[in-house]
Amino acid sequence: MRYLSEYRDPDVAEALIRRIRNRSSRPWVIMEVCGGQTHTIVKQGIDALLEDAVEMIHGPGCPVCVTPLEQIEKALALAAMPDVIFTSFGDMLRVPGSSCDLQAVRARGGQVRVVYSPLDAVDLARQNPDKEVVFFAVGFETTAPANAMAVWRAKQLGVGNFSVLVSHVTVPPAITAILDAPDNRVEAFLAAGHVCTIMGWTEYEPIAERYRVPIIVTGFEPVDILEGIHLAVVQLEEGRHEVENQYARSVRREGTVPARDLVARVFQLVDRSWRGVGMIPRSGLGLREEFADFDAEVRFQVGNITVDEPKECRAGEVLRGQLKPVDCPAFGTRCTPENPLGAPMVSTEGACAAYYHYRRYQSAQLAGKTS
Amino acid sequence: MCLGIPGRIVEVHDDHGLSMGTVDFGGVRREVCLAYVADEIELGDYAIVHVGFAISIVDEAEAKRTFEVLKEMSQLDELDWIQEVADQSLQPFEGKAP
Repeated sequence: MRYLSEYRDPDVAEALIRRIRNRSSRPWVIMEVCGGQTHTIVKQGIDALLEDAVEMIHGPGCPVCVTPLEQIEKALALAAMPDVIFTSFGDMLRVPGSSCDLQAVRARGGQVRVVYSPLDAVDLARQNPDKEVVFFAVGFETTAPANAMAVWRAKQLGVGNFSVLVSHVTVPPAITAILDAPDNRVEAFLAAGHVCTIMGWTEYEPIAERYRVPIIVTGFEPVDILEGIHLAVVQLEEGRHEVENQYARSVRREGTVPARDLVARVFQLVDRSWRGVGMIPRSGLGLREEFADFDAEVRFQVGNITVDEPKECRAGEVLRGQLKPVDCPAFGTRCTPENPLGAPMVSTEGACAAYYHYRRYQSAQLAGKTS
Repeated sequence: MCLGIPGRIVEVHDDHGLSMGTVDFGGVRREVCLAYVADEIELGDYAIVHVGFAISIVDEAEAKRTFEVLKEMSQLDELDWIQEVADQSLQPFEGKAP
């Protein structure tokens, strides 16, 4: 496929690795925000290849991981209702709630269906007028336009038996929260290329300026990530702190304007709790008043469910970049993809899952950690 | 979850006022919502698709330009590296020379 395979070119990757190593005078601490990038970095061993030149810290950009436990509990409650068909992206099915996950609800007879697109959930509602179809609207800014369109479409077509359980989050407040933490070590960020495809990068300019931190909008292929790291290292070495766009083939400064517009018409900024992190003011999206009819929390009165986070899971520290997954005492022993304590171990974007699947588990074992 | 896959737009149509189309992902075809890029598409364009929505049109000229710069850089580095190896292999030889 054009402009996909090229960005996996091993010669170019090797040259970039050499350049980063040559340019770096000390191990700069760089955070990749997006969980998809975390997986590429760990899978390809980019962090290991760049050891001594940069330290890669994995960020909170896994929407499944940061969805708070109480939203999972609401999903479980909705999915168990007899007239409800609960729809979700596949990633959410194995996220542990306080007692079970969506897959377990399905095994007990709950109607839980995986959809590829939120519009499929609207179609399902039209095909099943005697049922209530609820869609679990999670994700960052990348996914918000798709979920906004589903709500917009349902209203436009008068699909009264469709509603959404919203747990949307946005990236810039999370970056700010990381930078504001007294023990922050992050010196540069790779911003998530697809979030910026929608939003552009104007929101990041005041952050780079205020915190004097380089922010590189970066794509997802190995060469993209290495080029992003290279641009960050050059800025750090030169004492600059700007927003740069590595992923120019998809990202424009103003983003994808029609998508931003519809998100702004359907959603508004709200305070949102992040699993393991806590409440971050104005860090989430909630439905606007004129779409309140499509709010599943109101329609099914599950809005008041609250639960405590499990004590043993240290997802919060992992998501803030303060703890490497392998340094969690439960990693690979009491917490595995088969029996996860928290979402980062099951999500395809979770840092714990990335470490577990790509060799780190074995290396931890070899180091005698689990003996 | 922010996974976006580039695919080629091979057909466009209207579904009750919503711009939709067929996108080919290396032989696998899917129906995709094109509403957010409708103003700028031409058949044959590559779009980045996320959860059934085209979120951008790939700027092919930009992709080509960036990659060529990177490729050229790697070739230059290769030449530097060959030079470096050649220089290093010469040094001990020179040192031992009478």
